[in-house]
Amino acid sequence: MKKDSLLTDTATVNGIEIAYVDRGTGDPVVLLHGFPDSHYLWRHQIDPLVEAGFRVIAPDLRGFGESGKPQEVEAYDMRVVVNDVVALTQHLGISRAHVVGHDWGAAIAWMYAFLMPRRVDHLAVFSVGHPGVFSTPSIEQRKASWYMLFYQFPGVSEQLLRRNGWRLFKEIMGNEGDYQRYPRELARPGALTSALNWYRANRSPEAELRVESNFPPVLAPTLGVWSDGDKALLEEGMTGSAKFVRGSWRYEKVTGASHWIPLDQPEVTTELLLGFLGTETSAAAPARRRRMYGRSA
Amino acid sequence: MSEATDDAPDVVVVGGGIAGASAAAHLAASGLSVALLEKQAEYTDIVRGEWIAPWGLQEAQRLGVDECFGFGGGWEIREWTQWDETVAPGDAETVDMTRFVPGVGGPMAFPHHTVCELMAEQAADAGATVVMGAQRAAVTGGEQPTVTYRLDGVEHELRPRLVIGATGRSCTVGRQVGVSMTNSVHHWGGGLRVAGLDDWPMDVQAMGTEGERMFMVFPQGDGMARLYINFPTENRPRYQGDGGVDRFIADFELSSLPDGGASVYSAATPIGPLKLWPSVAMFPEQSIVTDGVVLVGDEAGNADTVLGTGLSCSLRDTRMVCDVLTGGDDWSPAAFEPYLIERKFRMERLHFGADIVAKLYCEFGPEAMARRRRARELMEENFAASVTGLLNMVAPENVPDFGFSEFFAERLFRERV
Ligand SMILES: Cc1cc2nc3c(=O)[nH]c(=O)nc-3n(C[C@H](O)[C@H](O)[C@H](O)COP(=O)(O)OP(=O)(O)OC[C@H]3O[C@@H](n4cnc5c(N)ncnc54)[C@H](O)[C@@H]3O)c2cc1C
Repeated sequence: MKKDSLLTDTATVNGIEIAYVDRGTGDPVVLLHGFPDSHYLWRHQIDPLVEAGFRVIAPDLRGFGESGKPQEVEAYDMRVVVNDVVALTQHLGISRAHVVGHDWGAAIAWMYAFLMPRRVDHLAVFSVGHPGVFSTPSIEQRKASWYMLFYQFPGVSEQLLRRNGWRLFKEIMGNEGDYQRYPRELARPGALTSALNWYRANRSPEAELRVESNFPPVLAPTLGVWSDGDKALLEEGMTGSAKFVRGSWRYEKVTGASHWIPLDQPEVTTELLLGFLGTETSAAAPARRRRMYGRSA
Repeated sequence: MSEATDDAPDVVVVGGGIAGASAAAHLAASGLSVALLEKQAEYTDIVRGEWIAPWGLQEAQRLGVDECFGFGGGWEIREWTQWDETVAPGDAETVDMTRFVPGVGGPMAFPHHTVCELMAEQAADAGATVVMGAQRAAVTGGEQPTVTYRLDGVEHELRPRLVIGATGRSCTVGRQVGVSMTNSVHHWGGGLRVAGLDDWPMDVQAMGTEGERMFMVFPQGDGMARLYINFPTENRPRYQGDGGVDRFIADFELSSLPDGGASVYSAATPIGPLKLWPSVAMFPEQSIVTDGVVLVGDEAGNADTVLGTGLSCSLRDTRMVCDVLTGGDDWSPAAFEPYLIERKFRMERLHFGADIVAKLYCEFGPEAMARRRRARELMEENFAASVTGLLNMVAPENVPDFGFSEFFAERLFRERV
């Protein structure tokens, strides 16, 4: 397991131990992974970003990798996790950063961006759109993300997922992302429960019904990226996010990638980040461009 | 117990297959100092068993190595549809394999070498010294056994309290301490891992006979599968040399299978080597426990591979031996009596069952087919007639006694009443 790690440090912030990568000097970029990953999701992007003159901060979010794994559901409320990121960047003396997120990490990045606009330079979100879009899923989207609803049954689901050599988990994941690594990571003490608690804390049926419409606008220039091979999330979740962004909005669709864009199209991902971060300085002029990346469209 | 040092661990395990690696993992987790010597510099597909019976998984659970199967790419198979030339594809019956051993589920197909690697890794994490690429391991038994080996051209010597010999069918340790084997070969087999079986139902395994082939498809999830063919010894050249792999895959064009087997033969791409092997039963001629040395796994003798119980047996061996080693300070040969008694009973049953299965499914031609047809009819009429098949699912001691009588075998084959 050690060989799947690029971690450089740990710090106790916001009452929890967070392990993270801190490499390079220059404008800071915070990379936030999702479920069920770790900083290791960004392994193909870290070096190029460092070489391009960025300081890369890539934490294992609470519940994942080498970071702390509280077992209570409440510990995974999005606001708590956002505060982990705030506390970590403060600990590192960073007042303003580019924030990049994938999957749950994208949800965290969105929230970070609208709650703390001054701490965000550029925002890049992969796969998961703005929570305002996500809170009113279409029937089609609900079906596509049926696996999220599966996690709603506390207690049984760990057992079910692990049973018979993680058969159900493997059925759900298929051969996407680091599918061979995930069960091993999640089998570590407490890891599966804390990973699932992300879903339990934030997408309980009540939360789905709660209509949260008054989101503060996102002021940072924002890049939204979605992949046509995403089996759980719909394009409209990302494209529909534009209306929550007051800064410039750019949408990119990556082809030939599953939900795990940074793993399936590593060069495209890196190229998108390098081309976007630190380029558009103004939050005033929205450029609604649409481009295709990756293999043949 | 004397203080263990690097050169004098409690136990040296020679051979890091399923038997040796599981022993090292369990013993290290139990607090013993262990060195594991594996000949290969890294684990590769040397074509061993990739289908493990539910009772074998239960042994893995007891040893605490069961997650290695899941993490190493194991895939639970739930059903066995009994396609065979004696029945139309649509009429083949399906057996639900998930209910034989409570708390376990169905058998599992898995990439063998990755599971061994994870077990060795687990042993190392628990404190064992794992030596990959150990060459020329040489064991001398006795009250103070020694093991020498070469690593990167340097000679090493270990003086453990006990050596576990687990070098598989090469029986290297056994030969060094004077244990010889008698063999009998019934037929040959070949195995190949493939990908691309997107239209094959991943829940379902096949195991049946057509023409001069006993074919097996064991899905491993994601369109991958282990394919085996058992065949008459004289057909060996068919799968050797240039085009052998293609002919092997093409031989899954079988009228017994739905679509004539197209979802296998027209879709499979190899993801490992094709290896052929004699389906051999091995019987040790001396005791597998001597002063300072205990043999486990294939090294201790095995039933014909057609039964698919070699892995389960290896894990059972490991558990029986580990129970002695973790249960007390007496490691003398007498202390292993429970292992010897249990293994003798177990192997008698497995050899008996393997003979029946080999005769039923791995003999070819009109006479054999007629025999198989009769036996299958009998099994359909009376479930008790398929008692031998239970050996695949539950531990030998849990198979009803009547399945191991000559009387039963004669009735099954109806050759003499
Ligand atoms: C083609 C094939 C198909 C089979 N199918 C099945 C099946 O479907 N289900 C089932 O249950 N069983 C099956 N079996 C049987 C099963 O594979 C064996 O019973 C099982 O692998 C035995 O495990 P083992 O650890 O004793 O030996 P092995 O798996 O042979 O492992 C021995 C290990 O020792 C190492 N070694 C050898 N010599 C030395 C040495 N001198 N020094 C150090 N290391 C050494 C080897 O590299 C190897 O890693 C099959 C066997 C074959 C050959």
